[in-house]
Amino acid sequence: MKQELHTFTLTINGQTVDAAKGRTLLTVARENNIHIPTLCYHEKLRPLGSCRLCIVEVEGTPTPVSACTTPARPGMQVHTHTEFIENLRRETLKLIFLRHPLNCSACEINGYCQLQDLAHEYDISHVDLHSCGMKDLHFNSEPYCTPLITYHPRRCILCGRCAQACIEITEVGAINYKGRGAEAVIAPIKTSYTDPTKCVSCGECMAACPVHALTETMTPGKIKPWKTDRVRTTCTYCGCGCQIELNVMDNSVIGVTPADGGVNRGALCGKGRFGYGFINHTDRLTSPLIRTDGELKEVSWDTALDYIADQLVHILDTHGPDSIGGLSSARCTNEENYLFQKFMRSVIGTNNVDHCARL
Amino acid sequence: MTSRSKKIVFGVWNNQVLDNRNGLEKKDLFSSIADLHEFEPGNRITAIMGWDGFFVFDPDADVLDMVRSYMEVVQSESCGKCVPCQMGTKVAADILCSIADGNGREDDIVKLKQLCTVVKNGSMCELGHTSMNALSNFLKYYRDDLYKTVTTGKRHPRKTYHTKVTAPCIEACPERLDIPRYIHDIKTGRYRDSLSVIQEKNPLASVCGRVCVRFCEFSCRRGKLDDPVDIKHLKRFASDMEMDAAVKQQDLKVHLAPDAKRVAIIGAGPAGITAAYHLLLKGHHADIFEMMDEPGGWAAFGIPDYRLPREVLRSEAQLIQDMGAAIHYNQQLGRDFDLQTLRERGYEAIFIAIGCRLGAPMRIEGEEDQPAGYYHGVDFLKCVNRNEPIEIGDKIIVVGGGNVAMDCARSALRMGAGEVHLVYRRTRNEMPADYLEINEAEEEGVQYHFLTNPSRLIITDKVVTGVECITMEPGEPDESGRRRPVPVQGSEHIIDCDMVVPAIGQKVDLSSIGTESGLQTTQWDTIDADHETLQTGVDWIFAGGDCVTGPATLIEAMSAGFRVSNSIDQYFKEGIVTLTEDERMSFILRAVNKIDTDTLDRLGSGIDRITIPTRAVEERIDDFEEVEACICPEDALIEADRCLRCYRILTVATEI
Ligand SMILES: Cc1cc2nc3c(=O)[nH]c(=O)nc-3n(C[C@H](O)[C@H](O)[C@H](O)COP(=O)(O)OP(=O)(O)OC[C@H]3O[C@@H](n4cnc5c(N)ncnc54)[C@H](O)[C@@H]3O)c2cc1C
Ligand code: SF4
Ligand code: SF4
Ligand code: SF4
Ligand code: FES
Repeated sequence: MKQELHTFTLTINGQTVDAAKGRTLLTVARENNIHIPTLCYHEKLRPLGSCRLCIVEVEGTPTPVSACTTPARPGMQVHTHTEFIENLRRETLKLIFLRHPLNCSACEINGYCQLQDLAHEYDISHVDLHSCGMKDLHFNSEPYCTPLITYHPRRCILCGRCAQACIEITEVGAINYKGRGAEAVIAPIKTSYTDPTKCVSCGECMAACPVHALTETMTPGKIKPWKTDRVRTTCTYCGCGCQIELNVMDNSVIGVTPADGGVNRGALCGKGRFGYGFINHTDRLTSPLIRTDGELKEVSWDTALDYIADQLVHILDTHGPDSIGGLSSARCTNEENYLFQKFMRSVIGTNNVDHCARL
Repeated sequence: MTSRSKKIVFGVWNNQVLDNRNGLEKKDLFSSIADLHEFEPGNRITAIMGWDGFFVFDPDADVLDMVRSYMEVVQSESCGKCVPCQMGTKVAADILCSIADGNGREDDIVKLKQLCTVVKNGSMCELGHTSMNALSNFLKYYRDDLYKTVTTGKRHPRKTYHTKVTAPCIEACPERLDIPRYIHDIKTGRYRDSLSVIQEKNPLASVCGRVCVRFCEFSCRRGKLDDPVDIKHLKRFASDMEMDAAVKQQDLKVHLAPDAKRVAIIGAGPAGITAAYHLLLKGHHADIFEMMDEPGGWAAFGIPDYRLPREVLRSEAQLIQDMGAAIHYNQQLGRDFDLQTLRERGYEAIFIAIGCRLGAPMRIEGEEDQPAGYYHGVDFLKCVNRNEPIEIGDKIIVVGGGNVAMDCARSALRMGAGEVHLVYRRTRNEMPADYLEINEAEEEGVQYHFLTNPSRLIITDKVVTGVECITMEPGEPDESGRRRPVPVQGSEHIIDCDMVVPAIGQKVDLSSIGTESGLQTTQWDTIDADHETLQTGVDWIFAGGDCVTGPATLIEAMSAGFRVSNSIDQYFKEGIVTLTEDERMSFILRAVNKIDTDTLDRLGSGIDRITIPTRAVEERIDDFEEVEACICPEDALIEADRCLRCYRILTVATEI
């Protein structure tokens, strides 16, 4: 009953649809499979209303409204694809391409880009920058708030998703719009007196960017997304167990993206996102080593484990359990850590057990 | 045909057109604009351009150059967030520039038209939405001139214009805080920036965020759609979030030049504090002389703690002391010093901000005897706020309908009064007090007697035992437009009580300024000073706040403090005091607003106005703890989202 009080109907393109109080026109349209183009809208964030591509006409209101920010109200008559609106969208897109030149073949997300999709949808193959009458843009670029990420003002379409992600997902707010008009950029800001810019290098901003204007500084070589495989796995850094996808090209990991589902619900921390360099690192140990005659020699896992077991038994017999201590890792799961202390206490027989995260 | 509209050569606004370019049109339009003459003495206005159109007074005014300049201002104000405004106005400005430089092409005009449509219909906020109106009117009505420029390659040299960027809420605020900007900063999570915007002008952000009468909200355009934006509580939110850090974490000390001039400020009320703040920021010494032993004026010992906790005020008043202002307490003008002695002590300018210290009497029989149980409202509140002993009656009558009366009534309840009756001579809707407070007081149990006026005190053995009241009825409208209440013959009746608190107004203590100072006073017994510049008849003495306006509001007093800092600064530098550029622009703006129909032709984002968390009546009625709580960040975002950012740009061309 209570539910019903808050639902009402409105029409979109003549079709009567149900809506609930608090929903935006965009959500209502999507629930009813009515397509409205969007660019700055991101499911995980509050609507920003900046790209103006989702504009629709509402009868009785002389000026179009953005569907992503306008709450649905009873009896609204909404039109999503009139000629006027489609034309406005096309012109708006052209304006976006004045800042973000159509140079897709040089871009790492070629073929996987929302803006490129929109260019196709609206038949924009070429925007003549020179004949439009606009003078060149000059950007005051300053270093981004973390060296792990590089900001490309000429790609940035100022949608604001990055800044919003930083506020809403990371709850830091390290970046925001800076400057005015067409030459505005996204830049580090001081958010409060207590903590001036406190970027935690999580990369949520980068992940939210629809047009790859924020890129990983360390990304090795040129990426071809269509040649990249995605391997789902669990992040090894801590016990949280974030679900990730390793982006693999030519048999080496070139990036980490969050996988759908999982405890992390699409978020990652800086280590999980950026700390994959060790995987293909030349210094990395790939098999166990045993020191014989002062020199470390590669051995098989079986040999190494047998050796450890023998030594533990030997020390236990000669010096007693308290001569052995165990230190486990924060990278293990709770269950693994539990097992480890159980092993130390009941098998070895000592309370000498600790954990690196406690130090 | 009036001679007035002849002055306008061409005018367009709200789709109305007055075209006198070829012969004289028979229309009496835009009269408030036609009445404008000079921008400043000896400098005629030649054209005005704004958010809906433009007016040309001088046939030689270069409208094309003006549109170009207008578009460049828009571009420099565009927040950069939405595509049409951010890029569209840039392209338009660049095209106009190339046309004005003599490099225009015919298809430029087509492009400009297209841009007008995209930016007007696509922009997110009112800045972008209105930014193209002047241009599209120019394209429509100056088409021939434009084609001529394009085909002949005529060059239009760049001129400079007077510019003002404002919004209706900003103009309504006496101190002209950049409201949409600080709201936008909250919306984008920048609380610190938000507070800085407020503090550019207002050193008492937390105080205003709690008790300001919010002129801004009453002219907020969101109100045309549903309810005004809750500007006051957003201000409180920003200051509650950041104030502590802003005061504690920074080195606020202002370093003054060795030869900085010295200003004496008399009275540490809102006007005095604000004046000190801005004088320091402008590089002058500010010493305050205050007769009481703490800062804040009526905000400290008038407004009760349940609306404005004293620590909030104290910590903000501390801010000006940290900046370097000295406050000398227990120093009363007229008792401990006079104006001339200050001059002799090296103060080159004086700002008098002594407020209205005395309660006004009701002028009814029995009052002169000062019977027991009779307290002036402000004296009563002062006792309550300063924890001075006071005997609270069981049945109290408060007289008046303003903020002071509300404060007396609600404080009396909290002090343990059995019944509180509020007697007011007009109707509920005419009460000057904030309607939210009227409701809150009623919830707490205050009983209202509207259209009732006291006519006599009933005194038994020198003690008040009742008030004889007379019923009123609304009569003819007075100057304020409200219907003047007139007594109904023979309707006298007695309300018993053991305490009566008149709160019908306050008066300036004129005795303190003395006679030898040469200061003039007005017929309302206030100090006579120029209402804009605040200079008195004695050129080095300035006065402002309640002592000039009569009892008014916090923000008006603060705006006087801000204004006087400009005047004194100019007085030091130039020896004379004139209107500021901003004030001259505001004057023109008001003329434009008079003819502006200001319709809202779009829907806003965001939902309904938030509700403010308040303590339950039974919980709050027994103590002086704050009634309202700060809103949470989530609600602040929701509320900030409701602002339409009604920025308006006005440019004025003048002869010189
Ligand atoms: C009970 C009450 C409630 C109010 N509530 C509100 C409200 O909710 N919102 C709002 O906007 N406004 C409110 N007001 C009005 C507001 O407080 C005043 O308009 C404002 O304080 C005026 O500021 P001011 O600096 O001009 O004068 P004041 O605040 O009166 O300050 C003058 C200062 O000068 C000192 N002084 C006076 N004479 C001398 C002298 N001879 N020598 C030295 N010092 C002297 C006084 O001690 C005082 O500190 C309220 C007023 C009262 C009385
Ligand atoms: S890396 Fe994380 S903390 Fe840093 S700016 Fe991006 S979202 Fe904010
Ligand atoms: S960097 Fe990316 S997410 Fe951020 S504003 Fe630019 S385009 Fe949008
Ligand atoms: S909607 Fe925002 S900008 Fe417009 S008047 Fe209200 S507070 Fe000011
Ligand atoms: S998706 Fe609505 S404005 Fe960008």
